[in-house]
Amino acid sequence: MFLYYCDLAWRSIKKTPMLSMLMVLAISIGIGITITTLNVYKTMSYNPAGERSDNINSIQLWSQGLDTWDDFQSNITYTDVINLRNNNELGLKAATFRTGLAMQSDDPNIDPILESVRVTDSDFFSIFDVPFLYGNAWDKTVDSQPAYQVVIGEKLNQTFFDGQNSVGKTIYLNRKPYQIVGVIKEWNPQPKYYDPLNGAFNDAEEIFIPFLLAEQEEFDVWGNTSGWKFEPMLTYQDRLNSEKTWLQFWTFLENEDQKSQLESWLSRYVEQQRNFGRFTDTAKTPAESFQISNIELWLENNDVVPEDNKVLVGLSVLFLSVCLVNILGLLLTKFLKRAPEVGVRRAIGASRAQIFSQYMVEVGIIGFIGGIVGLLWAWGALSMLHAEFNMKESVTGLDASMWIITPLIAISTAIIAGIYPAWVVCRTKPSVYLKAQ
Amino acid sequence: MLHIKPILSSLMRSKSGPVLLLLQIILSVAIVANASFIIHERLTMMQRESGLIEEQILSFNVYNFDPAIDNVQQNVIDQQILRGLPNVIAASSTNMMPLSGSGWMDRYVDGPDQDTAESTPGFALYLGNEHLLETMGAKLVEGRNFRPEEINTQLDQNGMVAMVSQPLATAFWGDESPIGKTMYQGKQTIEIIGVIDKLQGAWVNHSNFEYSVIQNIDFGGGFKNKTYIVRALPEHIPALEETIVKAFLAENPNRVVDGFSSLIDMKKETYNNHRLMATLLSMMVILLLLITALGLTGMVMFNIQRRTKQIGTRRALGAKKRDIVNYFMVENYLICIAGGIIGGLLSLQLGQQLMSLYSLPMLPISYPIAAIVGLLVVTTLAVIVPAMKAAKISPAMATRSV
Repeated sequence: MFLYYCDLAWRSIKKTPMLSMLMVLAISIGIGITITTLNVYKTMSYNPAGERSDNINSIQLWSQGLDTWDDFQSNITYTDVINLRNNNELGLKAATFRTGLAMQSDDPNIDPILESVRVTDSDFFSIFDVPFLYGNAWDKTVDSQPAYQVVIGEKLNQTFFDGQNSVGKTIYLNRKPYQIVGVIKEWNPQPKYYDPLNGAFNDAEEIFIPFLLAEQEEFDVWGNTSGWKFEPMLTYQDRLNSEKTWLQFWTFLENEDQKSQLESWLSRYVEQQRNFGRFTDTAKTPAESFQISNIELWLENNDVVPEDNKVLVGLSVLFLSVCLVNILGLLLTKFLKRAPEVGVRRAIGASRAQIFSQYMVEVGIIGFIGGIVGLLWAWGALSMLHAEFNMKESVTGLDASMWIITPLIAISTAIIAGIYPAWVVCRTKPSVYLKAQ
Repeated sequence: MLHIKPILSSLMRSKSGPVLLLLQIILSVAIVANASFIIHERLTMMQRESGLIEEQILSFNVYNFDPAIDNVQQNVIDQQILRGLPNVIAASSTNMMPLSGSGWMDRYVDGPDQDTAESTPGFALYLGNEHLLETMGAKLVEGRNFRPEEINTQLDQNGMVAMVSQPLATAFWGDESPIGKTMYQGKQTIEIIGVIDKLQGAWVNHSNFEYSVIQNIDFGGGFKNKTYIVRALPEHIPALEETIVKAFLAENPNRVVDGFSSLIDMKKETYNNHRLMATLLSMMVILLLLITALGLTGMVMFNIQRRTKQIGTRRALGAKKRDIVNYFMVENYLICIAGGIIGGLLSLQLGQQLMSLYSLPMLPISYPIAAIVGLLVVTTLAVIVPAMKAAKISPAMATRSV
């Protein structure tokens, strides 16, 4: 029966090619636009932490003075980071910031390159579940006794060591020798959730070095440094002693108990710092002066999905609804035109349900074709975004889920648009049309 | 005569078609009004002039990683090399580039006492020497440029002077001239010596985008990472990159010279998202109008087929061709105007919603009105062809099948 309805539907579609094409065009454009914006939205709002999202937490502190910043800053001060690092109640913890260093090889023909570098602690790799190809993170003792050790990325290992196991070998950063202790497997989470502040869709760094080296090597900060009061920053030591915020701090909380333990630790910490003359905004209680953000909250607070994108998704859904109304009108037009035919069929003995389902099959087919064409539109639009606007492939690549979402939206749109016309036509009284003929 | 009454009563008799059309027009007006407002806002934003000679400006970074390099001296040598290169009109060190998305922001206060002094709004803080103004091609409207002997190399030195952009001067000092005023940063004093017509900061979305200050510090000293800005004719810019890298590495190989970008490219990159938004929304508006027009045409055509007999009868009873065309036009205008008014109200509501959720300004009433006018034009175009066709139906049609 279904196949027979399909055949009937196809004939009916062919009978009014212009009208059918108009409907397919309307639905496909609506779908094309919706899927394009939805795809960008979906890839941008993706949470790469998966089920670890609640466990991985960053800490923000209200260290600013009265009447200065209105919000928590994503970054915190060096003083706070050092104190948090010394909190032995925390299992896994890592401070991090981004810098850049010149990397040189032994080959004099290759110009030195300036590489983006992440300065962090050994726990960083466990917190973010970074996969290793060779070796491991540096030893925990390096976090308290700095050593010139480095973890490099697979790509860099390919360029400089032909992809061989390079653990134990040396690379030069700013002319200093660093010993390789680990090579990580291709790892490039998008969005770059461990540091969305410097471009949420930038690539992950290929070089990781111990955090404590920062103090002696005075690494530049490749990221935001913000201050809420006047503090001259003439030397690196000024930076370290200042109230300026420029570092992130991460920890891994196994359960709620650990979280409440951290909360009470932070309350006590703020109180203690107040005694030292810090955290001067007394409008905030100690319990309000910190924020523990899991990945979901962190991504949201850092505006990983631009507002524009949300506006676009909203407008494109409205657009789709215009298409829906449009198709509804066209279908009504088309079906009413066929009322005499339906009258005859009803008179011969077709039930209302049969007429209704026959027309719904036709609508479904139009929706399906519209969906496929719409997917092509979306694919074209996404390629255009990639080529014309330098949008990252990770954002403009058609998400796998779209292959299911698109036909689903397309067919349900068509069916919503089709129910009323099909219902009207199946209620046709046979007598009216038999009389006219 | 427009004969609105019979048209209305015929509309009331078969409601579903007109109601759908009404709904479509309501939604279209709401979308088109809001989308075109956002488009207009973005285009205005992108058209703001930077005040610089954009097509002549190239910038790049130098990263000296050799600990043996004396940064202050190297900076002087490097700028001499740049000025000595063929086709280079002017060159200077700087700490940041306008429109680049990364830079410094700071504020001054107008008195030595931190607690009582009034603070300027936040501004982009450029550090440069006496060549920076010429290299950028920015115009001085009042006061003077730095003198070579005034240039400092460190942030904590005495004798700081500064030039401020006109919008900042107006915002803080009003009609008063800022020339000669002394500003403070901690214990340090800064004397204002000049006013620049226009100089934008690094972040195009920042509310203080037009507020800038250039202070007399040759930024290259004391920092490993330096930015240089070079002015040359547009036709010479592409070749300069290689020349500069070669000259710099010949001087000292222990450094990385990269990050070459013309101001044109920087501007394009920095406004990318706005361009994207404007493009996508324009596409949406055009497609929406297209779909609405096609749907309208389809429905009018169907109506004409259904009313062939009626039209024939009217023609037989003496209606002119013009009357038939008018009938269809008025019918659709009625729906369009009703839909337009409701849609206009809805678009204001939607605009309100967008404004409260996102950082969008309030939707001016002119946009819904323009959207309604636009839709009236589209309606006319979509209806006129089938209506003309309808008018051609011969009176004989009415009698034939009876």
